[in-house]
Amino acid sequence: MCISERIRLNKTYFLLNLGFLGFVVCFCLWFFLCLPAGRKSLYLKSVVATFVCVVLLTVVFDNVLVGTGIVAYDFDKISGIFVGYAPVEDFFYSLVAVSFLPALWMLMFRFKIFNSGGVTFLAKNSVKQLLLSSRPLSWVNTAFPFSVAYLLSTGGVSWFWVVGTFYFLVPYNLLMYGINDVFDYESDLRNPRKGGVEGALLSRSLHRLTIWVAVLSNLPFLVFLVVAGSGVSVLFLVVTVFMVLAYSAPKLRFKEKAFLDSFTSSAHFVFPAVYGFVAAGVSLLDGSVAAFLGAFFLWGVASHAFGAVQDIVADRAGGISSIATVVGGKLTVRLAVFCYVLAGVLLLLLVWPWSLTFLFVVPYVLNLLPFWFISDLDSPQANSGWKRFLGLNFFTGFCVTMLFIFFI
Amino acid sequence: MGFVYLGALIFSLLGMVVLDWKFKLFFYKNFCLASVVLVVGVLFFLVWDLVGISLGIFFRGDSQFMTGVLLTEELPLEEVFFLALLCYVSMNFFCVFYKYFLGKSQCAYQRELD
Repeated sequence: MCISERIRLNKTYFLLNLGFLGFVVCFCLWFFLCLPAGRKSLYLKSVVATFVCVVLLTVVFDNVLVGTGIVAYDFDKISGIFVGYAPVEDFFYSLVAVSFLPALWMLMFRFKIFNSGGVTFLAKNSVKQLLLSSRPLSWVNTAFPFSVAYLLSTGGVSWFWVVGTFYFLVPYNLLMYGINDVFDYESDLRNPRKGGVEGALLSRSLHRLTIWVAVLSNLPFLVFLVVAGSGVSVLFLVVTVFMVLAYSAPKLRFKEKAFLDSFTSSAHFVFPAVYGFVAAGVSLLDGSVAAFLGAFFLWGVASHAFGAVQDIVADRAGGISSIATVVGGKLTVRLAVFCYVLAGVLLLLLVWPWSLTFLFVVPYVLNLLPFWFISDLDSPQANSGWKRFLGLNFFTGFCVTMLFIFFI
Repeated sequence: MGFVYLGALIFSLLGMVVLDWKFKLFFYKNFCLASVVLVVGVLFFLVWDLVGISLGIFFRGDSQFMTGVLLTEELPLEEVFFLALLCYVSMNFFCVFYKYFLGKSQCAYQRELD
């Protein structure tokens, strides 16, 4: 490998490739989990051997291509690290070709093996558990805030936006809910509500795998976001990911510390938006941005606090403390209503017609009112309110999206 | 000289076909599925190329070895053949190694994945 005197370490090409690699890594991980045990090592060994060969061929072929001027590069957009004449970034193509295509190939054979049972294969127990563990229903809740914040600030679609949105759609959730379920195993066992769409019980045998999937799917995207971002945006990214880890990781366990639990949980959804604004170069001190983020944050705090009410009995039995177990169900519900109302007030501060969005808060408040006098013993009944809350989110999300489309 | 690069690519692709046929690796194992893999692969890399071109990272070099036929701005016809070759080479290698690591008899690979 020679480093030319034209080395500039520009990262445009690197970021393009890293983004595509990120998508492929996610696909391959999913595929890998679907493989029967005996075929996993076979796939890995074959991919590694193929990679070595294809890289060697690429070295030769790429040098010919670039050397004869068939392909040319903008030297201001590549790292300037070459293997002969070939930019080192080109090898991402080889890496993707040797991992993605074989996965696709074997996957399609699997479809045939089970023929009518192809679906069974795709929903193979471990994969199903892992996916359920990442709460697919909630994926959009983290991707949407980032996506909208970044889009509103820059006013256009860019590669950073595409990769960032996908990161907050899938890998971010795999990390957040994956480690959450691993470390929550004990208390989840006692909670009959966990194990459906709202939250999955992750069997113990899958714990190590879950951590691996979370780390591997996050890695390429985090490297991408760090390399692509500015100093400030990296700082916010670090805080965002720290919040995700601190929520459930052993020793920190923010989720078991009253008040810190609601704060951290809200941060999971608001910080992607904060990060979106910062990455797009918007100042957080800007009045309407601050009001919007503040309202969103309060909404998140209220929603988490209310969500904890239904788990009071299970959490107390499991020896877990939350905002609701500490201050009691009744006070938690009232606190949540207060936060919703405060969020509405903040939204009123926005410029017309955006100030109208305060109306969105009303159904959330109404949803909580039946539980105004709830006792801790009756707390599991709050689950009906929680289910309405989940439905309400889709309605609100739909309306907000419509607003964005019409007014921007 | 315009057909040198395209010719070399087609020659290489034919070489891949011969190896494929001799060892019954990819298309000669399952034509339909192999076609899907190759088409998806080429399309995937084309999208990648187009994003790269739109970012101005790479472009068509000024080479006398190319036909000059463009699919779209900066994307020469030859690129499709090149990507097909990249995919085919990768898959042939993968199938060879898969067959090798699978061990056993010649038939094992034929039965495998069927």
